[in-house]
Amino acid sequence: MAPLQKRALYSFVIGLVLTIALIIVLVLQGDITAFGEHLRLRLFMYTVLIGVPLIYLILVNLTLRKPSQVDERDRLIIERSARAQWLAVIFSLVIWTIVLTEIYRDQGQVPIVFINLIFMSALIISPLAQSLGILVGYWNMNRNG
Amino acid sequence: MDRVRNRIRRLRFDHDEMTQEELASRAGCTRQTIIALEQGKYVPSIELAFRIARAFGASLEEVFQYEHR
Repeated sequence: MAPLQKRALYSFVIGLVLTIALIIVLVLQGDITAFGEHLRLRLFMYTVLIGVPLIYLILVNLTLRKPSQVDERDRLIIERSARAQWLAVIFSLVIWTIVLTEIYRDQGQVPIVFINLIFMSALIISPLAQSLGILVGYWNMNRNG
Repeated sequence: MDRVRNRIRRLRFDHDEMTQEELASRAGCTRQTIIALEQGKYVPSIELAFRIARAFGASLEEVFQYEHR
């Protein structure tokens, strides 16, 4: 396994575990729109919000600064993974738009708390998707060349 | 179908069984890239191709061959 591939895997797994934990906590909470009223929940959310990009930064980005661990093939995979990153963010926004529109259609307005949630989800999804894109890139290159 | 083939595995053997790690170090790439090259799953940039050829003390065409069918 290439050093970057290994680190992308760690970053993805840790990020995914944190994200799933956050989703479980939000679901158990019952009313997502009330998340702003609970200090512990907000702190946990901020931890995930800061944690996922930070883990990505430490594990993946710092590897890129070590020339001995990264070469042109790794850089090519990273460039391609950016496509997965923006696609995932775009799709998450599309899903948010459709779901919120359908749920709050009758009320004619969406609770303002969702602005935070949409923004946070984009910040969490972005590094997660890039880690996944790197892993898929290696898998694809090893398979098809 | 066009294809770039290489003789890296053979040349490593001819150079006292040079390890992939050693070649990677000389050529300035990772061992995984050398593995991918030997398996024909990656075509290097011109720059890396020259560095690999230089690591063997060979010309570019002694290491890489372009096949056009």
